[in-house]
Amino acid sequence: MFRKTWRRVALASAGLLALSLGTACSEDPSDSTDLSENRAGAMADYGVGDQFKATEALSFSTLYNNHTFYPLKDDWLFWSELTKRTNVKIEPVAVPLSDYEQKRSLLIGAGDAPLIIPKTYHPQENAFVSSGAILPVSDYLDLMPNFKDKLTKWNLKPEIDNLRQSDGKFYLLPGLHEKPTQDYTVLVRSDILQELNLSVPKTWDELYTVLKAMKAKYPNVYPYSDLFSKPTPTGALLNILGASYGTQAGWDYQHATWDPAAKKFIYTGASEQYKQMLTYLHKLVAEGLLDPESFTQTDDQARQKLANGKSFVVTGNAQTLVNNHRPDLAKTLPNAKMTKIPLPVGPAGEINPFPRLENGIMISSKARESKNFVAMMQFIDWLWYSDAGLEFARWGVEGTTFTKDASGKRTLNPGVDFLGLNPKAPKHLQKDFGFQNGVFAYGGNPDLVRGFFSPEELEFQKVMDARTPRAVSPPAPLTDEEREQVSLWETPLKDFVAQNTLKFALGQRPLTEWDAYVGELKAKNSEQYIDLVNKAYERFQKNNG
Amino acid sequence: MVTLGTRRDAPRTRGPVDSRGYRIFRIVNTIVLIGVVIVTLYPFLNIVARSLSDEAYIIAGKVTLVPRGFDVTGYKLVMSDAMFWTNYRNTVVYTVVATLISIVLTTCYAYVLSKPQLKGRGLLVGVALFTMFFSGGLIPNYVLVTSLGMKNTIWAVVIPNAISVFNLLVMKAFFESLPTELEEAAAVDGLNTYGILLRIVLPLSKAIIATMVLFYAVSFWNSWFTAFLYFDRQDLLPVTVYLRNLIAGATSAESAAADADKVQAAATFQAVTIVLTTLPILAVYPFVQRYFVSGVMLGAVKG
Repeated sequence: MFRKTWRRVALASAGLLALSLGTACSEDPSDSTDLSENRAGAMADYGVGDQFKATEALSFSTLYNNHTFYPLKDDWLFWSELTKRTNVKIEPVAVPLSDYEQKRSLLIGAGDAPLIIPKTYHPQENAFVSSGAILPVSDYLDLMPNFKDKLTKWNLKPEIDNLRQSDGKFYLLPGLHEKPTQDYTVLVRSDILQELNLSVPKTWDELYTVLKAMKAKYPNVYPYSDLFSKPTPTGALLNILGASYGTQAGWDYQHATWDPAAKKFIYTGASEQYKQMLTYLHKLVAEGLLDPESFTQTDDQARQKLANGKSFVVTGNAQTLVNNHRPDLAKTLPNAKMTKIPLPVGPAGEINPFPRLENGIMISSKARESKNFVAMMQFIDWLWYSDAGLEFARWGVEGTTFTKDASGKRTLNPGVDFLGLNPKAPKHLQKDFGFQNGVFAYGGNPDLVRGFFSPEELEFQKVMDARTPRAVSPPAPLTDEEREQVSLWETPLKDFVAQNTLKFALGQRPLTEWDAYVGELKAKNSEQYIDLVNKAYERFQKNNG
Repeated sequence: MVTLGTRRDAPRTRGPVDSRGYRIFRIVNTIVLIGVVIVTLYPFLNIVARSLSDEAYIIAGKVTLVPRGFDVTGYKLVMSDAMFWTNYRNTVVYTVVATLISIVLTTCYAYVLSKPQLKGRGLLVGVALFTMFFSGGLIPNYVLVTSLGMKNTIWAVVIPNAISVFNLLVMKAFFESLPTELEEAAAVDGLNTYGILLRIVLPLSKAIIATMVLFYAVSFWNSWFTAFLYFDRQDLLPVTVYLRNLIAGATSAESAAADADKVQAAATFQAVTIVLTTLPILAVYPFVQRYFVSGVMLGAVKG
């Protein structure tokens, strides 16, 4: 009897499964371009520079990444002022920052996603494209005059093309930057430089000489002991070093790198540039200049070494410098000085590797059926892409949170604190007003993006602005089947490259074995991978070029 | 004349002399267990010490077991955050309600299953066991809970996990070990089924119920995932999610790489929240523990 029951249960569940599959497949997508049913609340003529205001009160649900440092509050000036200006109310679906991505997948998978889904980093949207749950936004750019305007004005077409899927459309509205704002670089104890009569190193080779001199004076110290051993060992250092060598490593590791001379993609981990980068890194480790523990230690350990004078150089950015290293040093070594040096130059020349696209917004496909669809696209265009919207999301309301002088320079009001600018002020721009919110403020011109940078940081950016932005590789979007195929190859390849990067750097494997290593990569399908990418590139050129 | 025996007259009640092997075993056992105690206690004491220390000492790596530069601003800061208390209250409410529901349901289910004369008993056990090995998966569960209208209500966290199959089986084994004669006698004396359960069986089951309360309460207190799934408003979340978010906000690689406005939550701040979150469960544990040991044994060594 027992066995019979089991069989019945199995049969019933199989039937249920079949039923749910059947219903899931029977939905037919509506891709009509007729928007006449969707114009309720929209402005009849909305263009660049216009203030968007819905003709009737509207509300749009939005996924909200709730940051620990400025938890969501209903009484923020941001909400009330936004509604006052645009007649739109945002209904946030608050998700803790810790598990934002998981909840996003769940909500989209369950068909319960809010209409606006911000804070999505390319290529995260790929996972949702084939299900049809998110909207091909490239079909509706005509509703977004500011977005289109910035795209042409800032010459962002090559970057945007990289977001395209194999159908030639893109599904993510990214944050747009006029200029790249490189953040990570090498932080150096400048008092040690002075003590040893050294000038600030301009290239990686000069940095090597500087480290060498530091080692000569302090033989018991590893001058460079790095943070960021997770998730990729020394991800940040490899990232900036790789860029300077014309390849992609560390945090930024991509399997395929565009070779402009040969006009095709090559496998990154097997390229000559990658080898050169590893040769340099190995030299640092072999001569005791880079702490071998950099690849494994926790960030706290590295911080403590620096704070206690057991190292002089780390990778970092303005935040880690100002929030961590300087206060640490002030407590332990009051005479120490730490500065951010311009990104050292490598064989790739004077480039600024930072991408000009930021995380962006996905739109739920459900929005297309809404009668307010056009109004919603106009609203998104205003808040995230118009000059007025960008300023509003970052600085707030003129007169209340900031003032603007005749030359257009903005200053925070004395009663408002942000980044310790007015430490005694009773209110905080993020916590109490809801501006500078990572969900709503991204992209813009340097004036906005760097509005709160210190003079020191602006100086750094001036040096970086003089360099040429890194060339963007051409699009090579894979189809669903191809993506499934490469995802089987990607993980073993990536792990293998990461392992061997570590081995080569630490000297556990001599660089004379490079050819053997490339052979092992081929055995792990690196060539088939690149063939597939090159085929995708040619196909895209044929269909869209 | 009757003389009352003095203590000296009492027979010496020393047990049988321990064998040599057993003595060695006890010594080794003690050493190993002391090691286990150190391994488990040290991180906790370290967190407590950190929560009371000045941040400079934590960064310098000087805090081990004793707080350095005694400082309670961390506690003041966390306790002044209204959202922390809201979430804390939620945790207490969810834990109490969920444990109550779980205990009632598990007891009823287990008692019924312990009766061999029940028809379809195999099927009922099968239904429970089935959920131990197969589940509908995340998205179907989410769709189910949402379409039942439980999203953003307390029911989303207290109903779906109300019966833990493991606990159910432990309890069933316990009820099976109770002598049937007791219940038969009660029936002869005129008690109906509910009377037997409430007036005979339950008073004899205090140990197992206390154990179950502890099992359920601890797991509900610590759980965060269901709450994270089904709540869209931060004022509904339990304190575990608050804590998780606090730690993630300070350590996530993504925010370090991408968020220019990222601000490091202080190390003390995290330690303080951990201490405040674990404190109540720690305080309750010693009182339930004596039931706990006997309860688990009672379920396990079935006559």
